[in-house]
Amino acid sequence: MPGESKNGMQCAEFDLLLCEVLDEMLSGDRLEKFQAHGRVCPVCGPLLAEAKEGRQWLKSLQEVEPPANLVHNILVATTGLDTVRLRQPASAQPQISWAERMREWAGTLVAPVWAVARQPRFAMSFGMAFFSLSLALSMAGIKVSDLRHVDLRPSAVKRTYYEASGRVVKYYENIRFVYEIESRVREFKRATTPAEPGPAPEEQKERKNNNNTSGQPEQKQERNYSQGGDQPVLASAPNDPPVVTVTTYRRFV
Amino acid sequence: MLVRRCLAGDAVAWEEIVQKYNRRIYNICYRFAGSGEDAQDLTQEVFIKMYRTLKTYDVGRGAFMTWVTTITRNLLVDHFRKSKQDRVTDSMDTAPSEHEDAMPLSEQIPDKAAPPDAHVQSRETGETVHRALQKLSPELREAVILRDLQDMDYREIAAVLKVPEGTVKSRINRGRAELARLLQRTYRQVM
Ligand SMILES: [Zn+2]
Repeated sequence: MPGESKNGMQCAEFDLLLCEVLDEMLSGDRLEKFQAHGRVCPVCGPLLAEAKEGRQWLKSLQEVEPPANLVHNILVATTGLDTVRLRQPASAQPQISWAERMREWAGTLVAPVWAVARQPRFAMSFGMAFFSLSLALSMAGIKVSDLRHVDLRPSAVKRTYYEASGRVVKYYENIRFVYEIESRVREFKRATTPAEPGPAPEEQKERKNNNNTSGQPEQKQERNYSQGGDQPVLASAPNDPPVVTVTTYRRFV
Repeated sequence: MLVRRCLAGDAVAWEEIVQKYNRRIYNICYRFAGSGEDAQDLTQEVFIKMYRTLKTYDVGRGAFMTWVTTITRNLLVDHFRKSKQDRVTDSMDTAPSEHEDAMPLSEQIPDKAAPPDAHVQSRETGETVHRALQKLSPELREAVILRDLQDMDYREIAAVLKVPEGTVKSRINRGRAELARLLQRTYRQVM
């Protein structure tokens, strides 16, 4: 029992020396007294054996590996900094930046369209579409080089949008005004020239007078332009089924 | 010195401290709390606390390692108290015992393990010992973790636990012995 003296050593002293004995730091007379107490004391004897065994079990435990992202997480949680040097140990779980994710996302959107655009039969349509778009922009007074220093604040974007659309509308109105005058002039001419019966003879006359510069061919051309203006350039190739083709190609991407 | 550089606003110094001590703190937390998930959260908490209280570290009062270990230990004790309270409120049918180390472990420890004298370095054995360690009272558990797993000397452990060296030694003895008894019971049941 604790406090009991056996072989000149009390249980409390035995308890104190136990660690040193297991550390092999005790020797000589004290070690002998210690061992003698352990042999006869019903409490300290088993304690020595069990402590020795328990120590062995504990020593058999190996150090565990912390998670790869632990250091990274600690730094983010403390300084809020994610230093470049620390990305290396965390590379087991690759950290994709916001910009990279956006690029990937944009890529998935553009890829099907680009795949179609690369097809020879569509390349021309896309080229034409781009050409007309850039033409429209330059007509409206917007240079592609200007886009580099575009102000992206919401208010500025709004202002730019209204300015640009205003310019496009003005350009369109101007063209309409010109056509309007032209058609009025043509109507006036028709009214002043002697009346001819029916449209069919007019067509025949038209075919006969191919060299005629009286404005008839211009009228035809005007119609074509207006047709072209009403319909998107892509649809100008009547054999291409644009929507269906795009979805089909998307499946392969 | 790292701490002084850190206090001067050197982010690299802080990073070095994290690199130097994360493994040690994680291992203490893992062996005390039992699960890797808890260990990760607790290690993070330890560093957050360290970062906030770094200026209170006094070189004259002891080694930085002792200071770090003290913070870790105090957080673990808090965590244990909290989780014990949760357990008490969660399950009213299981009477919480005063001394966790008095609880029979034989039912909780899986029966798969090597015989006691073989002490084979297998993952299963390690797992069994780890689970048995969780059954020790926190007082005994922390003492054996700091001594046998972290190789701290008795004086350092006494400083961390704020108890006399004699008490430290006594707890280590009891912790080791209790662990051996728990594992003996497990293996006796298997055989
Ligand atoms: Zn005794």
